Amino acid sequence: MSETSVFEPKIVAYVCNWCTYLGADLAGTTRLEYPPNVRIIRLPCTGRIDFNLLVKGFEIGADAVLVSGCHPGDCHYTAGNYHARRRWILFRELLDTLGFDLRRIHFTWISAAEGKKWQQVVSEITEETRKLGPYTELYASGPAPVLPAPDCASGEARTLDAEPELREYSRSLLAEGTVKVVVGYGAHGPLIVTRPEDAGRLVWSNRCRPNLTAYLKRKEIKALGKPAVVVKPCDEKSLIVLERESQIDRKEIHVIGMACEGVDEPKCASCKDRTPRNADKTFGTAVVPATPSSQPDRLAALMAMTSRERMAFWSAQFERCVKCYACRQVCPMCYCDRCIADKSRPITIDPASSTKGNFAWQIARAFHLAGRCVGCGECSRACPAGIDLGLLNIALHKAGSEHFGYEPGADALGKPLIGAFSLQDQEDFIH
Amino acid sequence: MSEIISQAALRALAAEWISSARQVFGPTAINPHTVAYSPLNSADALLLEGFVHPANSIKEVVFPRHEVLYGYRIEGNSVELLDDHAPLPEQIVIAARPCDAAALPILDRVFNWDFADELYNRRRAATTVITLACNTTDESCFCTSVGLGPDSERGSDVLLFDLGDKAYEVRCLTEKGQALFRGQTETADRTAMASSAPPKKFDSQVIRSFVVEHFEDAFWKDHALACVGCGICAYTCPTCHCFDIVDAGPSAGNARVRTWDSCQFPIFTAHASGHNPRASQSSRQRQRILHKFAIYPDKFGEILCTGCGNCTRNCPEGLGVLSLAMEIDRG
Repeated sequence: MSETSVFEPKIVAYVCNWCTYLGADLAGTTRLEYPPNVRIIRLPCTGRIDFNLLVKGFEIGADAVLVSGCHPGDCHYTAGNYHARRRWILFRELLDTLGFDLRRIHFTWISAAEGKKWQQVVSEITEETRKLGPYTELYASGPAPVLPAPDCASGEARTLDAEPELREYSRSLLAEGTVKVVVGYGAHGPLIVTRPEDAGRLVWSNRCRPNLTAYLKRKEIKALGKPAVVVKPCDEKSLIVLERESQIDRKEIHVIGMACEGVDEPKCASCKDRTPRNADKTFGTAVVPATPSSQPDRLAALMAMTSRERMAFWSAQFERCVKCYACRQVCPMCYCDRCIADKSRPITIDPASSTKGNFAWQIARAFHLAGRCVGCGECSRACPAGIDLGLLNIALHKAGSEHFGYEPGADALGKPLIGAFSLQDQEDFIH
Repeated sequence: MSEIISQAALRALAAEWISSARQVFGPTAINPHTVAYSPLNSADALLLEGFVHPANSIKEVVFPRHEVLYGYRIEGNSVELLDDHAPLPEQIVIAARPCDAAALPILDRVFNWDFADELYNRRRAATTVITLACNTTDESCFCTSVGLGPDSERGSDVLLFDLGDKAYEVRCLTEKGQALFRGQTETADRTAMASSAPPKKFDSQVIRSFVVEHFEDAFWKDHALACVGCGICAYTCPTCHCFDIVDAGPSAGNARVRTWDSCQFPIFTAHASGHNPRASQSSRQRQRILHKFAIYPDKFGEILCTGCGNCTRNCPEGLGVLSLAMEIDRG
């Protein structure tokens, strides 16, 4: 039979209960015919559709996914679809960066009265997907161009002038009982000082790389009492995000700012913002290089590839991921008490460090940081497999900036990127 | 008299192995700053010098990050188990470090202690390890502190010594090793240069007695404060072997899968009741040292550490076995 050779695409539709689901129902009751290729998953509201579900749909073999809900202004819960719209604008950019085939990801507004539109949308998507064929390119490996390496001039390790002042100040903070613990740098990495006599082990050099604000979330540190934390200007921005997200009470943290000469990381080459702005006490002298060298634009090089090459690029990168979760642990913004990757009922992220499991984890990690990542680069620094994790965050930073003029860590009182919306949010892909 | 092989001949041999459907692993530069043992598709990618220790270990070859134990198919009320493991290709690790090779006999014991782990054993039997003795060390290396050295033969099938002029002395230690190099070497009267060994950095007996006798010491709390609780130390360790078993659903092809796990994760010991016997990072750090220097030695008579230094080298916060052990040894 010739029919058996025709490819029948599988399409997963995530629809809202109040509009699109009823629209699909209306199509049924009015006997409108449309292809049976779509599997409908009914959810309360598009605002509640987790991006992980889209990934899951592809994982289990969908050739295309459709997300559909109420028209703007029609949301049963007033604004769920506005939240959804903003989230999709950003998530679509992330999927594009990862090399997903955007022709297989559809977004529509279909009201309860639009049975006919449902029929039309499903028919069109089915036809289009049938032409594209099965989604065999999902997470496929293959040849991909090499990205330009980040320029990281690694000079000699040098102790900087402000070190004695930092030690003395920390000692007196502890001795006077202003703080109970100083989170600073030692000779081999972070040093947590609780006794004034140990303050002499603190170090300030051009090798002080970790973003120490990540320690503020740890319960072992919280249990010690009021902390002082040593920050560089780039790390300082995380405090602003943490404060806005009610993770810290800024008044209960003593911030020791260090004016910076750079710590020989790629991000330092073009950094001009070298004086802390919101510290309680600042030491050191900012040194901005006379000739700031510009980094190769790795994101532009990535986006210049075809989507297939991008997916092959990430596939090769994630192939090395062992799921040690260092990227999560060193990130100041990853403070969830229990990470989605550690939850087992249900398992949202496949815990195996398989291709699917690694993509699912890295997608979830990157997108949970959208509008929150301040670009400290700790994820890339910590990764033992040398995966260019920060590049995903940079892509989302760019998307937030281009679509919404958003700058994470700029303003403690401003609205967040995700979790807020504007009626004017613009997109051109929701039909 | 010794057997030698030129670097070009060694590469040609590796290329031949790759093209003969064997799975070949070796150090490769994955970016300008990172070297890792990786599957080799081309002998050109094989890195033979210019690095101290790859960022990972060779345990992946015998104990993969995730491995299907068996598949299952559910139809109606019946469950069918699918136990069809495809035959393994012969596996060759080339240019392993002696500290990585030495970990394999250590893993053998634990995977064959009360239960012979078939999946581990079949990979192990299919694997030949060609080790390259070290002629460089870095500040994280400490093999000499745990009874090994830069030219330890333990766990290797072949030991190569860099002669310094793009040639290697070949010492075949097992039948498997001999089979790979038979007829490929030339006889010469040159022998290997002395390798450079890291200085002895701590006394492992001191660590053992400290960890046993000072279980509740404040030392653990103080030193674990800087730990952020990732799994880098365990995952890049050649000897750490803990795993979790999960039923991966349809997205992973309906299978029961073994995946690596790490004692540094809070959920490693979390009970279903919500109780966690190792609730703090300090108890988890202590556990890692305890297991390496007391628990495993009590059971198997040797330290669960080969001194590769990966935990310290890779730790984003500069901790790891070496930092802690040196601190303990200093008293």
